[in-house]
Amino acid sequence: MKVYDGDFISVIGNNGAGKSTLLNTIAGTLSADAGEIDLASHSVVNKSITYRSRWMSRVFQDPKMGTAGDLSVAENLVLAQSHTHTTSLRRYKKADRWNRYQELLKTLNMGLEDRLETQVKYLSGGQRQALSLLMATLSKPKLLLLDEHTAALDPKTSRDVMEITQDIVTREGLTTMMITHKMSDALKYGNRLIMVQDGQIKLDVSGEDKKNLKSEDLVGLFA
Amino acid sequence: MLISSLGQGLLWAPLVIGVFITFRILDIPDLTTEGSFPFGAAVTISLMLHGQSTFVATMAGFLAGCIAGIVTGILDTKLGIPSLLAGILTMTGLYSVNMHIMGKSNIPLLDQKVLMNYLPESITPDVQTIIVGLIITSIVVGLLYSMFKTRLGLSLMATGNNKAMSSANGIQTDGMIIFGYMISNGLIALSGSLIAQSNGYADIGMGIGTIVIGLASVLVGEIFLRGRNILVRLLAMVFGAIIYRLLLTIAMGLGFPPDDLKILSAIILVIVICVPIIQNRIKTKKQLKQYLSQLSEGEEYEQQSEIRNISSQKLTKGILSGDRE
Repeated sequence: MKVYDGDFISVIGNNGAGKSTLLNTIAGTLSADAGEIDLASHSVVNKSITYRSRWMSRVFQDPKMGTAGDLSVAENLVLAQSHTHTTSLRRYKKADRWNRYQELLKTLNMGLEDRLETQVKYLSGGQRQALSLLMATLSKPKLLLLDEHTAALDPKTSRDVMEITQDIVTREGLTTMMITHKMSDALKYGNRLIMVQDGQIKLDVSGEDKKNLKSEDLVGLFA
Repeated sequence: MLISSLGQGLLWAPLVIGVFITFRILDIPDLTTEGSFPFGAAVTISLMLHGQSTFVATMAGFLAGCIAGIVTGILDTKLGIPSLLAGILTMTGLYSVNMHIMGKSNIPLLDQKVLMNYLPESITPDVQTIIVGLIITSIVVGLLYSMFKTRLGLSLMATGNNKAMSSANGIQTDGMIIFGYMISNGLIALSGSLIAQSNGYADIGMGIGTIVIGLASVLVGEIFLRGRNILVRLLAMVFGAIIYRLLLTIAMGLGFPPDDLKILSAIILVIVICVPIIQNRIKTKKQLKQYLSQLSEGEEYEQQSEIRNISSQKLTKGILSGDRE
């Protein structure tokens, strides 16, 4: 399977089909038994998560997973900003950086711009997930992995977070892979759709074909 | 009495800060403490007996503790041994190492100058201890405070808070945990080195119970000084060390023999864990009663008692996990 620059791929499939395995293998949580994974022309198969994070970001399903709850919103953003200077001995708090974060948080429209110093654990699930999304995209990754990132949210927040996702991905031109259980999201967002079944890719449509795809067609394929 | 517990407390402060780093920042109960404390003492006193200068010997004590910490860190992260067991293994191993360094179970200093003797003789020994303790504690707190303000410190805090998220953001979490163990045990050994100098001897059994002393002081400090700012949290540890010493001195003054100090330490730890929990329970009960007296309908009463259960659970959990608001 090849992911092209600028692709926004939705991955669907029934439970146990191998979606999460696919994503976890790319992310490095699972090691691959066989095969190759190349990321931005680096072979990353069986490399550490830390190494892969130079080109890749991930938003987890659980809002608590993607953020450090005891740290403030701003501190979380600092962590996400640079993946290569993690042991730098420079002070991380800078006024211009804080202002920039405030601007970015404003674009999320979640009321986070006034809560830079709030510990993340006091935010709602939606706010936490929106923050995770902003953090994942802050370092402009070559590949953004979204692991059912709206599954734990209520329908309205889920829709808001999907809209934010769409905005950021379009604005930054990010290559994205999104696992979802919601057929409507899979059809509505992205330029390419992949359906996984029994560990194999059963369907891979993109462009016009994907636009013409209807949910009835997909339900028929879920055998 | 107050003066001597102040001085002793300041000498114990590095140990409490060390325990704070593993217990609160990394969220690991590290038992290496019991081994690295006498390790620092043994290295310092032996070097001094072999003619090294006090400053070199004290620094060597600190570095020895760092090495002990690195060993536990490697056992924990690279070899995948559970952290509690990793600490016990290093602690046990260090007993033999300490015996080899000291040659026998107790080595007294002869006429070597300890750090306190570098101060003018006109000052009383208690005040000398306070001055040395203050200088060292200020250096430790100052360095750690600036470290926690850098990206390195932030990475350390993030690793202890959420490991999965940290590695996804490019932090070498294994390295960070080893680093945390290292400075923590370095500080604990520094404390051992200072206590040995103050006592005038190193003893193989001086590490027994230090983890209880450390944890109790951490909790006592957090009861007296609360805050999210890292400087406040570090200073709370210094206060904790001093107040804890004061409690022990009072107990000794009441006529407890020195042999009973260990069980007193354990009892103090139990009390400082339980008191905030009971306090919170009484507080929520009081608030609930007040609230209920304003309500008249039985239906709402049921809802409220449900809420009470949830909030009291949350509070209990909050204290043990060091939740701070």
